Amino acid sequence: MIQPMKKQIAIVEDEPALRENYAAALARHGYSIKAYGNRRMAMQAFNTRLPDLAIIDISLEDEAEGGFDLCRDLRALSAELPIIFLTARDSELDAVSGLRLGADDFLTKDVSLPHLAARVAALFRRIDALRRPDNAAEIVRRGALSIDGEKMQTTWNGAPVTLSLTEFWIVHALAKNPGHVKNRQQLMDAANVVLDDNTITSHIKRVRRKFQQVDAAFDAIQTVYGMGYRWVE
Amino acid sequence: VSIRLQLLIVALTTLVLPWAGCQYAKELETALRSSQEQSLLANAATIANALSAQPQRVFHDADDTQAFSASAGDLYVYPLVTQPLLDGYRQDWDVPAEPTPLPTTTGYRARLQAGSTEGFLYLFIEVADSHFDAEPNNVQPDTDRFDRVNLALDGPNGREAYFFGTDAPGLIAAQSVVKGEDGVDRAVAEPRIQAFWLQTAAGYHLEARIPLSFVGRHLWVEALDGRGKGKAGFAADSAAGGRLFFATAGLDSLLETFIGDGTRATVIDANALKLGTAGTVVSKKRGETEESEPIWYRYFLGVDTTDMPMLSMAPDHLSGESVSSALNGHPHAQWVLRGSHRDLLLTAAAPIVIDGQLHGAVVLQQAADQLLALRDRALSRLFNLTLIATAAAVIIMFAFATWLSLRIGRLRDAADSAVGSDGRIQLTMPESASADEIGALSRGFERLLARLNEHAQYLRTLGGKLSHELRTPLTIVRSSLDNLESEGLRDDQRRYITRAREGTQRLQSILSALGAAARVEESIKQSDRVNFDLRELLISALAAYRDGFPGTHFVLHTPEDPCFARGAPDLMVQLLDKLIENAVDFCPPDGTVTVRLERVQANYCLQIANDGPLIAEALMGRLFESLFEQRQGDDDKPHFGLGLYIVRLIAEFHGGTAVASNRDDGSGVVFTILLPLI
Repeated sequence: MIQPMKKQIAIVEDEPALRENYAAALARHGYSIKAYGNRRMAMQAFNTRLPDLAIIDISLEDEAEGGFDLCRDLRALSAELPIIFLTARDSELDAVSGLRLGADDFLTKDVSLPHLAARVAALFRRIDALRRPDNAAEIVRRGALSIDGEKMQTTWNGAPVTLSLTEFWIVHALAKNPGHVKNRQQLMDAANVVLDDNTITSHIKRVRRKFQQVDAAFDAIQTVYGMGYRWVE
Repeated sequence: VSIRLQLLIVALTTLVLPWAGCQYAKELETALRSSQEQSLLANAATIANALSAQPQRVFHDADDTQAFSASAGDLYVYPLVTQPLLDGYRQDWDVPAEPTPLPTTTGYRARLQAGSTEGFLYLFIEVADSHFDAEPNNVQPDTDRFDRVNLALDGPNGREAYFFGTDAPGLIAAQSVVKGEDGVDRAVAEPRIQAFWLQTAAGYHLEARIPLSFVGRHLWVEALDGRGKGKAGFAADSAAGGRLFFATAGLDSLLETFIGDGTRATVIDANALKLGTAGTVVSKKRGETEESEPIWYRYFLGVDTTDMPMLSMAPDHLSGESVSSALNGHPHAQWVLRGSHRDLLLTAAAPIVIDGQLHGAVVLQQAADQLLALRDRALSRLFNLTLIATAAAVIIMFAFATWLSLRIGRLRDAADSAVGSDGRIQLTMPESASADEIGALSRGFERLLARLNEHAQYLRTLGGKLSHELRTPLTIVRSSLDNLESEGLRDDQRRYITRAREGTQRLQSILSALGAAARVEESIKQSDRVNFDLRELLISALAAYRDGFPGTHFVLHTPEDPCFARGAPDLMVQLLDKLIENAVDFCPPDGTVTVRLERVQANYCLQIANDGPLIAEALMGRLFESLFEQRQGDDDKPHFGLGLYIVRLIAEFHGGTAVASNRDDGSGVVFTILLPLI
């Protein structure tokens, strides 16, 4: 059996201990890891060879927003490359900026290593799925919504809705059982993430906004106050 | 004691000024008086000396030093100013003294007074006689009985006797008894001695005029009743007495030459009888201004006059300490009071000594010096001015003190309210622009408040900063644990990993709680306002709380219809979360948490009430402050005093307010959120 070539993951993180920990954990999952402490070194390497996935911290050494710049540059080099922001900064603004720059996911450092590995795996799975022909079996349809679980793609009335990985998993969890209330814990579990209530709230808000950009009348995600959210058709 | 009162008391010390003025005035007055005494005494001594050099112009009989004795018939002859009309009345004599009673042994009462002017001696005799007995015609003076007045004189030709009697009242002449050639005594009229006989209800008056040429040193008067034995007076053959004491003619004008304006000089003989007088006490110049002198200031300024004697006003003689001292040979000056105004009068007396023999005295009387009067006026004006100045100083001081205490009061009020009930710090103080100490104090306050504010700001952001800064090391710990766990550990090792992981989770929740307020503030900034049904929100949230807190009984009261409010429902749920958590924490087991929504006027009134311990009154206003925590935490949840602060933030975001209170019956506490209706 031919050993498939190891997927290469670039970690750009200025905190050495964290960098090593992430690298060790992901290496254990069979990835080849390149770790960089700042944007300059990372960019040099990327210009030579693009990794298969990049995990980027926002503040890099003396550059408070170095991660954003790096993300922009990477996107310029490749439109498909999965990019994950992994940062101690948890403000709404940072999340919005990061995702707008084309990152696939925005994680705070609260995320556990297994969760991180799960996301990395999911993103690679999506890359693979995108390269394969369509597999209709994986597609969930709920009225105007259609979710491709493999490719992690969402459409509303046929129009694509670009969601981050976390957002996608939240929508997926809600839409799988319409009418069922999913509390925050369930949504976090589904999204492989540990978040506080406010962050879930802002994720939901962001998801609604993204659907509303496609259909202003979108009202399928309902808040059940004090309990959670449910998908209504 | 307020500053105002203190300054007022200090201001009152300016009253020392008028007081010192008074003291100075008194000393000045004493000095001026004493100098006036000295000068008047010197004057008196000078006049006395001058008079002693010419005794014949002063004394009627300079050799007669025998004492005056009214009981022996001695008679003082008042100097009359004008010639009286012979009419039987004494009023025009202008002598203030009453006539002297004549001695009697029979109860027959008669009184006598003598006066003199322009070469005549006047006698006035007043007799009480119930029945008029007329003098018969062709009187036999020695034998006939009628109402008569006998008069004996030491004339130039020896002693001569006359009598007055009449058949009808009116103008009469004196009669003398002349033995005729036939040896019979006859009454012969002496027309130069005239008299007026006036019959009155009580008797009769006899006013007689005798040329001084008839009059010598002695005179006797006797009144006899016509029908009885009644008689009074001195018979002509009395051996002693009957001396006449005249005021010395020409002495008045002599004295005029010695004295100046405002001084009265009186010369008395050794018996203190007036021999002559000149001048008036009240100067004409002074008289004009004296009326305007205020009397009251004497209470503050004047010397004590209560012990001073009143001036004796006897018309025929002088008395008093200075007079008796001078008649004992010692010059003496004394202040006396005169009249109802109690004007001050200086009396100075100096003895007149001739050849070592005391003959009389010169008495000078003078009103308080004009200098004194001037001093009085100046000082009373000074006194008035200092009083006004003091009053002004007191008023100004009072106003200043009021202003000062107002400013300080403003500063104090500002300092009291500098830290508001919401924990916000008012950074500007009143008066800080002033250049004085109060301004400096105010600026000191401002600096203090600025530092306090920095400190409070730092504390407020500390939670967020800490939770941010600690996140990376915490992540290192957790990711290391993750890595360690996947190394394939033994079960006993895994136990420690689990413990370490629990520890990091607790740390995580602490950091999360610390950063909660900062996150709420941020999400408030990014929240959109939508219309939502508060009632529906409460119903669904309460259902969740019933599941979440099975040990607590929840009761919900809402209106029947939807209650639309405008805001962020997610935040409103967070507000509810905090209040419900708080209520459940303090609610005893099996207690009840009551949630009530009502419309009150223009607001929704949302009340979350729980049974349980009350809130101390003093803490009531501070509960909603950031980082205010009074709870004695016995649970393992971290409390940073941010829960109710978040409640307030969210209530304010919705345009409402949050208030805590105790139930009236003391069974628990109520948190009330007022939100405006749409």
